[in-house]
Amino acid sequence: MADDDQDPKEYRWETGYEKTWEAIKEDEDGLVEGLVAEFAQKAARKAAAPRRGPIRLGMMRHLLVAIDCSEAMNSQDLKPMRFLCTLKLLEKFVEEFFDQNPLSQLGIIAIKNKRAEKVTELSGNVRKHIKAVQGLSNQALTGEPSLQNTLELAGRILRPLPGHASRELLVLFASLTTCDPSDINTTIQSLKTDGIRCSVIGLAAEVRICKKLCQDTGGEYGVVLDDVHYRSLLLEQTTPPARARALDAGLVKMGFPFTPPAEQPDADPPITLCMCHVEEGEGVGGEGHLCPQCRSKYCSLPAQCRTCGLTLASAPHLARSYHHLFPVEPYEELPNEGQAQFCFSCLRSYTDVDKTIFRCNRCTEHYCWECEGLISSTMHVCPGCASRPHLCQRLPDAS
Amino acid sequence: MADDDVPSDSSLLVIIVDTNPNQRYITEDPKVLTGCLDAIIAFANSHLMQKSRNQLAVIGCHFHKSEYLYPSPGKPLDVRQVDGQYELFTLVEKTIKMRLVNLIKSQPQEERPGESLLAGALAMALCFISRMRKQAPPGLRLCSRILVITGSSDTAAQYINYMNVFFTAQKQQVLLDVCSLDKHLSLLQQGCDITGGLYLKVPSLDGLLQYLLWVFLPEARERRELVLPGRGRVDYRAACFCHRELLTIGYVCSVCLSVFCKFSPICTTCHTVFKIAGPLAIKPKKKKMKI
Ligand SMILES: [Zn+2]
Ligand SMILES: [Zn+2]
Ligand SMILES: [Zn+2]
Ligand SMILES: [Zn+2]
Ligand SMILES: [Zn+2]
Repeated sequence: MADDDQDPKEYRWETGYEKTWEAIKEDEDGLVEGLVAEFAQKAARKAAAPRRGPIRLGMMRHLLVAIDCSEAMNSQDLKPMRFLCTLKLLEKFVEEFFDQNPLSQLGIIAIKNKRAEKVTELSGNVRKHIKAVQGLSNQALTGEPSLQNTLELAGRILRPLPGHASRELLVLFASLTTCDPSDINTTIQSLKTDGIRCSVIGLAAEVRICKKLCQDTGGEYGVVLDDVHYRSLLLEQTTPPARARALDAGLVKMGFPFTPPAEQPDADPPITLCMCHVEEGEGVGGEGHLCPQCRSKYCSLPAQCRTCGLTLASAPHLARSYHHLFPVEPYEELPNEGQAQFCFSCLRSYTDVDKTIFRCNRCTEHYCWECEGLISSTMHVCPGCASRPHLCQRLPDAS
Repeated sequence: MADDDVPSDSSLLVIIVDTNPNQRYITEDPKVLTGCLDAIIAFANSHLMQKSRNQLAVIGCHFHKSEYLYPSPGKPLDVRQVDGQYELFTLVEKTIKMRLVNLIKSQPQEERPGESLLAGALAMALCFISRMRKQAPPGLRLCSRILVITGSSDTAAQYINYMNVFFTAQKQQVLLDVCSLDKHLSLLQQGCDITGGLYLKVPSLDGLLQYLLWVFLPEARERRELVLPGRGRVDYRAACFCHRELLTIGYVCSVCLSVFCKFSPICTTCHTVFKIAGPLAIKPKKKKMKI
């Protein structure tokens, strides 16, 4: 982890005071309200500014996040407490991860008192992971963690995955010690052989064994300075690692399982075996997704067909990322000179507080600053354009 | 839906009414639209009656544009109480009818009606909901949902707009309900599934009001205690970018995730040139035997 090429501006104590009060001046009537509102508008817009640069999406990543739940997480150097701060940031991380890595899977591990426990199975279900993270907040934080047991568990989960998919482990580690049953170096070597990339974010200080783990397996090691730095280290992990990015670009054949509604809804469904649970001997019968190529059944998507190798997904897995491909054209910011009385999209009447309004140059409708924020940062659909027949299309022409 | 264990203080409903004249039920008998509209207005008023702080917006989706039918921008209409009707109800009915007439009148005469652009109307609805949330007094538990009532079919042409809107609704915890008056709508059904809303294709238009009141009036929290139409199987096939057809097997660009129905050496979306001369073959992994 190269700490020296971080932007130094990132740390609070180095950015200096923003002397916001100096900019506040009274208007002709001696009021500051309008200016305060303008400030709030500018700050909100700055915060919502999208990331720049070409976007490369990571496909089929498999990432395990292991959270230290040992005594060291009780420390209050991160507010309100290392552990709660971690959970709060993780929620954001989960959202962001699936946004950047469609078709990927995430799993959560808790490192408790010398043991490692699965909190969630590897899956692409955002809500399930967020619920699980929130559920951890009552966790008792005691004892020492075992890094080796964590690595062993991660290895057991990640090894059976198909070779072309990435296998990664991210450990959020607060303790300065680890309590291991045997030689951890052997475990690290076996992870390395299996191509499992391990990264660690340390919450306290640099730990030699963590650094070695990251170096040997090609991961990244970082130590948190404060909560802002923690957040940026964590979110960095959502961008696909270089190895995954370097994979040759290709056109991947993919299946979208679909079963037309049954002709006789009362008939018993044929007894089928779910391929993901074959080994455990479960998953007989019930609903599932059939591989369109060979009819093998899977209980959850995305998956790779174990019989014919086809990648199986559903449309929303792909669509979650399309806004990166077809962004809305930025609106033009104009001084409010009474061009429009109200916002086209939310119907709010413009008042004196709205010093500027926004115009879409395609549909020529005017939007308030709040709608502009929502549209450019989250929705990626211009309401005016999307409801005009000649402007709504955003796909390349069929011709 | 985050705190759906606590009852909400106020519920905001945005109804999107498809007014496109090319819906089959309207072309067959234009008078049916009036009947449907009356049912929708009665439904809207029932929603307002449920709780004194409930809020309502209605968007008309025509083929050339979408517009708010209620509330009207700026000053509300001036209505006097008519035969004991609660003033607000009269205001809702009068505003919707008057603004709908204006919307229909504004349709271009020379243009043939195309498909209803419901994704645009949904985007407007989400902006409205986000505004009402910001304006809500602190501490007010406001739950929001959108109900689309349409007799059109959905086509993959609006695919990306739909998906972006669905994911925004999911993020903002807005439920999307869809009441189809005619055809099965597979894309909109995906939206209901993604946001946790209900999808219903009504078997007949005669009982529209009953269906609306029975299925779509209860808010998310109350729904769990009711027996409502099942989710059913949702069609999650992807639409190809070249022809917008739904596929069970397609080719996906590994750089930008565009979907194509046929193999081509270059991605038309991100212009990546694919090195391999044939489809990327992924061999099923052979299990390493460990002794
Ligand atoms: Zn198969
Ligand atoms: Zn607005
Ligand atoms: Zn526009
Ligand atoms: Zn095609
Ligand atoms: Zn591409």
